[in-house]
This record gives sequence, C-alpha cells and structure tokens, in this order.
Amino acid sequence: MKNIFIIFTSILSIIYAQNGLEIATMVDNREVPKDIISKTTMLLTNRKEKTRNSTILSKSSNNGSKQILWFLAPSDDKGVAFLKIEHDNKSDEMRMWLPAFKKVRRISSSKKGDSFMGSDLSYEDMTSRSLEENRYKRLEDETLDGKDCFVLEVLPNDDIKSTYSKHITWIDKGSLIAVKEESYDLGGGLRKKKKFFFESISGYDVINKIFVEDIQKNHTTTLTMEDIKVDSGLDQSLFQEKNLKRLPSN
Amino acid sequence: MISRFKKFAVQQSIYHPKRTLIISLFITLIMATGLNHFVIEDDMMKMIPKTVKTRIVWEEVKDEFGNTELVFVAFGNDSIDLFNSGPLADLWDFTTQLELLPEVEDVRSLTNLNKMENDDGFLLIDDLVASRDLSQQQIQEIKDYLNRNDDISKRVISSKDNFFNVIVIPDKNIADRDAVAKIVETADSLLNNYSVHFGGPSYLIGVVGDLVRDDALFLIRIGLLFMVIILLASLRTFAGVIMVLLVIILSLVGMMGSMGWIRGLTGSDRFAFSIMNTSMPIILMTIANSDSVHFLTKFFKKLRLSGDKKIAIEQSIDSLMLPIFLTSLTTAVAFLSLIFAPIEYMTGYGVSIAIGICWAWILSVTLLPSLIMLKEWPLNSKAVIKPSFLEKLVKKTGFKIVKIPRTILISSLLIVSVGVYGIKLITTEVNMISFFSKGNKVRNSLEFLDDKMLGSMDLEFLINGDLKDPILLEQISQLQDYLEKNPYVSTSVSIADIIKQMHRTVMDDNPDFEVIPKDQKKVNNLYTMYSMSGDPEDLSSLVDYEYSKALLTAILKNHSTEQSVKFVNEIDDYVEQNFTKYNNIIPTGQLVVLKDMVDLVIKSSVISIVVSIVVISLIASFFFRHFGWGFFGVIPLSAAVILNFGFMGLLGIHLNHVTALLSSVIIGVGVDFAIHYISQYRRLANQELAISKRTTSVIDEVGYPIVLDALSNMAFAALLFSEFIPLKHMGGLMVFAMVSTSFGTLTILACTLELISHKKTWMNSLLGR
Repeated sequence: MKNIFIIFTSILSIIYAQNGLEIATMVDNREVPKDIISKTTMLLTNRKEKTRNSTILSKSSNNGSKQILWFLAPSDDKGVAFLKIEHDNKSDEMRMWLPAFKKVRRISSSKKGDSFMGSDLSYEDMTSRSLEENRYKRLEDETLDGKDCFVLEVLPNDDIKSTYSKHITWIDKGSLIAVKEESYDLGGGLRKKKKFFFESISGYDVINKIFVEDIQKNHTTTLTMEDIKVDSGLDQSLFQEKNLKRLPSN
Repeated sequence: MISRFKKFAVQQSIYHPKRTLIISLFITLIMATGLNHFVIEDDMMKMIPKTVKTRIVWEEVKDEFGNTELVFVAFGNDSIDLFNSGPLADLWDFTTQLELLPEVEDVRSLTNLNKMENDDGFLLIDDLVASRDLSQQQIQEIKDYLNRNDDISKRVISSKDNFFNVIVIPDKNIADRDAVAKIVETADSLLNNYSVHFGGPSYLIGVVGDLVRDDALFLIRIGLLFMVIILLASLRTFAGVIMVLLVIILSLVGMMGSMGWIRGLTGSDRFAFSIMNTSMPIILMTIANSDSVHFLTKFFKKLRLSGDKKIAIEQSIDSLMLPIFLTSLTTAVAFLSLIFAPIEYMTGYGVSIAIGICWAWILSVTLLPSLIMLKEWPLNSKAVIKPSFLEKLVKKTGFKIVKIPRTILISSLLIVSVGVYGIKLITTEVNMISFFSKGNKVRNSLEFLDDKMLGSMDLEFLINGDLKDPILLEQISQLQDYLEKNPYVSTSVSIADIIKQMHRTVMDDNPDFEVIPKDQKKVNNLYTMYSMSGDPEDLSSLVDYEYSKALLTAILKNHSTEQSVKFVNEIDDYVEQNFTKYNNIIPTGQLVVLKDMVDLVIKSSVISIVVSIVVISLIASFFFRHFGWGFFGVIPLSAAVILNFGFMGLLGIHLNHVTALLSSVIIGVGVDFAIHYISQYRRLANQELAISKRTTSVIDEVGYPIVLDALSNMAFAALLFSEFIPLKHMGGLMVFAMVSTSFGTLTILACTLELISHKKTWMNSLLGR
C-alpha cells in the first residue's frame, strides 16, 4: 500500500510540477514507523581529527517526538539516561538520570541552536519543521548520487526565532526523504552540511546514517543506527522518568 | 681595489658629474620601486622564534582553545543606570554587530551570557538575556541573577552598574590591527552616546604600531629640519646642506626600497617592517649624514688651501675613500651580524641597513662630489674662507688634550666605570601601558579599565592532566584561589568553575555543594549533563576535546613586567609545592611571551655588539695592518655602549624591544668616528709629522666633522617631544649616543694615542716600522 503511495506521488510529481509547499507537505505526510528502536553509534570528530565515540540505546515513538536514550559506552557515561518529550505548545520536556548522583534532573535548553548531546545537530535540527512556520520555494531538480531529487529552499518566517536564515534541501523523489541539506546562518554564511542515508525496513524507508558537518566549527558528527527495529509496539508508559534508572536488557 | 675605485670615483665625479647624478637617481628609482612590496607587520608575536618554549606553548594554547588575546571594551556613563531597556538594547546591538564581524572569533557580554539555574529541581541552562527588548520584570530578573552570581557580574558590568564590559576575542588568523580597527569602528557607530574605553593586549598591539610609527615619522621630519638648521649654521652653505640632505634621502629610499624588493622576491616575513624597525631610518640617517658631513668639511678645508675645486675634490676623495669605505664596511658587517641573532626578524633589519649603508657610501663618494663639481663655489664665500665657530672650538679642545691627556683619560675612564655600575640597574619592561605618557588617551582608557573594571591584562596557564580527575580539578580551583589573593588579579576562569557551579545546581542550588565533587563518576555525569543541556562549544575555551588539557585564564590589572615575572615565579613555587599528582602547569599569554621576546632582543643586541666589536676590530686590524689599531678602533665604541646602557640603568629607562636596539646607533656612529680618527692619525704619522703636533692636527682635521656630525644627529632629540615613552627615550638616547661616541673618540681614543705616541717602540710597531 505504502509503495503504491510512493509510486503514485512520484508519478504525480513528474506529471504535475508541484510548488515548494506541496512538496514539503508530501514529505510531511510521508508514512513513518510508529516506533523505532536502534543502537546508535555517535562519532564526533573535531577540527584536529580528535574523536569522541558514544553508543546509545534509543527508543522513540510518534516520529521521534517521544524518545528515551541510555548511554551504553563510553564507560564514563554508562548508565546516564535521557528522556525527551516534545510538546507543541510549550517547551520540550527533558529529563536526565545521573547515576552517580542517583538523581533525575529536568533539564532545559530553550536555545534552539544548542547542540543536541554534544553533536553537530542542534535541537532545532532535531525538531520537525512546521509547514506553517516556513516558506518553501522549489528550485531546479537535481540528481544526487543517482537519485532524482526535488530541491527546496526553505526560509523560516520572520516571526520564527530560528538560528538559520535558510536551508537548501534535496529530497529523494522516490522515498520523499531529505537526503542532503545545507543550512545557512543568520549572516547568510554556510553553517552546516547534512547527509542522510536510509534503508528499507519492513516497508518503511528508515534513516540509518546521518552525517553532519559544521563548516564554521570544522566539526563533524556521524550517527550510525544499527539493529533497527520498527513498529515493535512500544508501550507509551516507557516514556516515563522511572524508566530512566534501569538500563533495559534489550 | 680601493685605489681603483678611488680613481673611478674621481673620474666620474670630476669629468662626468651630470651622468653620475642621473645614474644615481635612476638606480635609486629602481630600488624605490621595491616600496610596492613593502610590508608593515604589527604582530610582534610572529617575531619570536618558533623554537622558543613559551611561543610553542602559546601556539598550542591558541590552536587548542582559540585566540586567548582579548580586546576589552567598556562603555557607559558615570551618571547612568545601565539596567534599563535602552542601554541593554544598545549592548545587545553592539554584541550582535561584533559577532557578525568576520574579524571577530567570539564576544562575551551580558547579552550573550548563559545562565545556569536550578528552579525546583529543574536545571536550566539558557540565555541570561532573552531578547533585545526587555520588560522591566525581565531586567529585574537579570539583575537578581547577577546579584546572586558576583563572579559572573564583575566580568560584565562595573560595580556601580554604570559601565558594561564587553570582551572581544579577535579571529586568530586576522591581524590585530585590522580586527581592532573594525571593533573601534563598530563602537564608534553604535555607542556614540556613551563614554567608551578600550584595552587589552590585542587592542594595544593593534593600535601601538600605527601610533608609534605616525608619531615617529612626524618627529623624524622635525628632527631632519633641526639637522638642516644645525648644518646650515655650521657649514654656512645652503647648497652644501641640500647635497647632504639628498644623500640622506636617497640612502633612505634605497634601504626601504631594497627591503621591499627582498620581501617581494623572497616572500620572507623577516623583511617586514615592524615596530622594532622604527629605529632603522634614524640609524641610516646618522650614518649617511656622517659620510656626507666628513666629505663636505674636508672639501671646504682643501678648497681653502688649494683654491681649486677639482683639486679639492680629488684630495678629499683621496683622503676619505679609505676611512669612509672602512666605516661603511665595518658598520655594514656589524649590522649583518644580526643574521646570527636569535630573532629571525633581525635578519631583515640587519641586511636592509647594511644595504642602506653601502648605498650611502657609494653616494657619498660619487654623487656628493659630482654635486659639488656641478656647483660654483665662490672662493670668497664664508664657508670657504673662514672656519666656523664650532671648528675653532674643536681646534682649541685639541690643544687642551695634548696638555693634560692623562687627566682626561682617567676622568673619562671614571665616567665609564659609573656606566658599568649603571648597567646592573637596567630593568626590562614590556607592558605596553608603559609606552604611553600619563594623560595619553590610550593610557587613560587602560587606567579606567584598571580602576573601574577588571583590568585589561591576561595571564594564562596551560594545565595538562586528566581533567575528569577530581584531584586535578580541586588543584585548579585552589590555584585560582591562590591567584585571586594577588591584588593585581581581578578574576580567573577555568573548567573547575563550571564543574563547581553545575555541582551546586544539581544539588538543588545548595551553596555547600559549590565544590569539586570527590567522586570521579560525579564529575563524569556533570560533563555529560552539560553536553546534553548546554552548548559543548562553551567548554571548548576551557578544556580540550580529550579532557587532557585545560586553560586557566586570569584577568589582571596593569602591572610591571618585573612584578609579572615575580608573580609567575611565585606561582611556579606554589605549583611545585601544592600540585602533587599533576604538576604540568605552564604559564603563558602575551605578557610571558613578550618578556621572552625582549630577552631575545637583548640577547640579539649583545650578540650584535660582541660580533660587531670583534669584526670591526679585525677589519680595522687588516686595513691598518696591526691588531693594535683594531683594538684602538673599538675603544670609543665599547665605552659608548657601556655609557649608554649604564645611563639607561641610572635614569630608570627600561629596556624594551625599541630601546634595546638603540645600541646599533652607537655601533653605526661610534665606529665611524674612531676610524676617521685613526685613519687621519696614521696618515699624519706616516707623513712624519712631529709627535707634539699629531693629536692637535688630527683633531683639527677630523674633530670638527665628528662634532658637527654628532651635533647635527642630535637633532633627533625632537623625539623627546613624543607622547610615546620609548620614542622619548630614543630621542634622549640619541643625544646621549652622539655625546658618548664623539666623547669616546675625542677624549679616550685621542688621549690613549697621545700617550702612546710618546712610546717610540710601540708606535713604530703600530706603524709597521
């Protein structure tokens, strides 16, 4: 059914020259798994080629709006856990378990530009873009790594407190997944380059690798998701503070 | 070879004066085109050899933690309360504009500070100032937060809330000069309603170069004017003075142009013009002036005797070719010895001056006689007929010396021995506040920053070790407490502060927990928590990626280099006694590196002086065919060097990268005087002039040009009117160098030779009989 939908939308896109907003709407409406479990390796590399490596067990639902993470490695971080619940009308709720203190602490970073878990992805990068908060302009289509892509220029509305002035996004026409994005800072300079890779799991196109390069800081992040499981029926009660303290066995 | 060149010079100047003039101008013009490649370098740090340990550490710190050299901008008014929407909006705009500048790496001000708070178990790391336009309630919340966090408050606002402090970190790849210009421009455009003060090492480096150069150029021109007046009063010929001036100017253009050409052709930074090179034009002017004055006075003397211009020129060339060649050769070699100096930049200094000296020599013996040839000299003019007042005075001095040589020599040596004592009192000062006189605008700003804000100097410590180990973090915290006990230290910042603050925040804002946790796992958790809730970049200026290096920065009020060195030594002792597990703590920062640089400048000067004395002695020995002449040749020079540094010590004139190089003037001029004296002495002795008449005749012949040369060079006393203290010192030292070199030649050398002349065996040996 989903494949038929994708083929259908692809054909539509070829037949009808959609405008930017229509393409963004198609992407927004793309069918995604109800929940995802993965073991994520995060490799951070700074300008001097020094690296930091972490392994995280991640469970998320509602397209990532609810997420619980447990640090498995390095040993310094093992046991630290993090719960994030996004809200539409108020600040996101974030809690962190600090095993050495035996305390759960609610943390906040209302600064959209702040880094998420020390990576080159900011909270703004991690949050789905609302269609109403941006303007979309379709640019000339391109072929990227053999994939036919829509190219969109995304401009945050003036009343939105964004850390970016614009994004250029390459969207694979087949999967309707953004495969590449360039984000520009408020001064108009290129800030980040992002690349997304995906695989088909249980009929879904699921991102399994993200590469982000912060051009200005000369810093990169590679997130590699392994052992991906989708639609495993995660109980919504998992996303509670008490579950942070116990590292799940699976 | 000398006699062939002598013949050539006579031929060219007497028979082809116009051609010689045109060729001289043409060659100078070609050299002048090198000015297109002339580069001014203000970054003094680049001058320090890359192998010097403090520079290695400093580079390592910059590479790891970004630029650590700061520009402080304080703005406000005595009668204003800055906790109002207008001033806060202005601060917001100023900070934002600075952040957008490509020349700026980072800005730290109240409006881009993070706050870390615990609100009912809720850890919040957020902007302290949420937006440009604030409500009264938001302003009160900011004020309350700063009241609770005094350490943070004093970094961003004065104690009376009437001046904001903005710390700007220029991009490390941009010259301080360019970055400072942009910062000042931004402040001028946005803060014109406030009183604005600037400071900090980068600011000083950014402005000092231009200010000193502009002031020096202006005063050098004034000095040149005085020189013209003195020469005119003594030579009493306007045309003659113009000729001297032309030789000086063409030599200068030749030197600067050559420097540009070499810089352009080799791309070597060693041939960039820095603040250290400020003394170059003055040194060459004195040398070129010396060559020309000697030639012109000799010409008038010969013209007076012969009454024939051609004969006078020929005799002057014949008499002065060797001494001028020798003085130029020895001085050029002395400056070339700077190639061996530990500061690579001195290569450009030495080579360029050497080229200038050679060009001045060629012009003095070709262009100058040609110009003289082209001019009609009325034989009844005062310049030709009558000796000047100065000439008569010098002649009288000659008679005195012959009468009491022993007394004069002993008195002179006593004065020199006072100089030896004074050398021990010399101090080094590299703090640039000492460059500015009281009342100077820059100094006022620096003093304001000291009195009302944190100060504007910084001292960094690179700390190596496991930065997750509570023992090391505790030691850093204790070191900060120790530093802050020093009255000059206003505040200090390190990763230990962040860990302590986070610990307190996690422990429900209980002040008892504002300490380093004892358990390493807790430290690990705090680091992880920060990476989850704040921007890890915030920590990058404090701790490296692998948590193996940290930077402790102390902000200090201005103090002397001597106090700084003492303080650093005390810290070394403290670290040795208290840092048991980790002791790899290295002080760094511009002040520490600059101190090393001045030490190197001094080392370079000492090497230059020693090599010069040896080389000059050898050259003089070779050309005068006896080691004795080599020895006598360097007596006035050595006495003048001792007197110069002794004088500096006695009068409290500090050694810095400008004054330390002034010894070069002494080398340049001192050796000239001695060689002219010895050359004339030998000439007269070889002509079998009676011993009783030798000294008076030599002084009669060379004493006047020596004194006139010294006196005209004293015109650079105009530098005494500079508002920059090193330039003032340079002016004073120029006068002193002229007095000491001429004094050394006409008293110590003259008396020594007078006394020796009566020892027949010694004199015969010296004269090769």
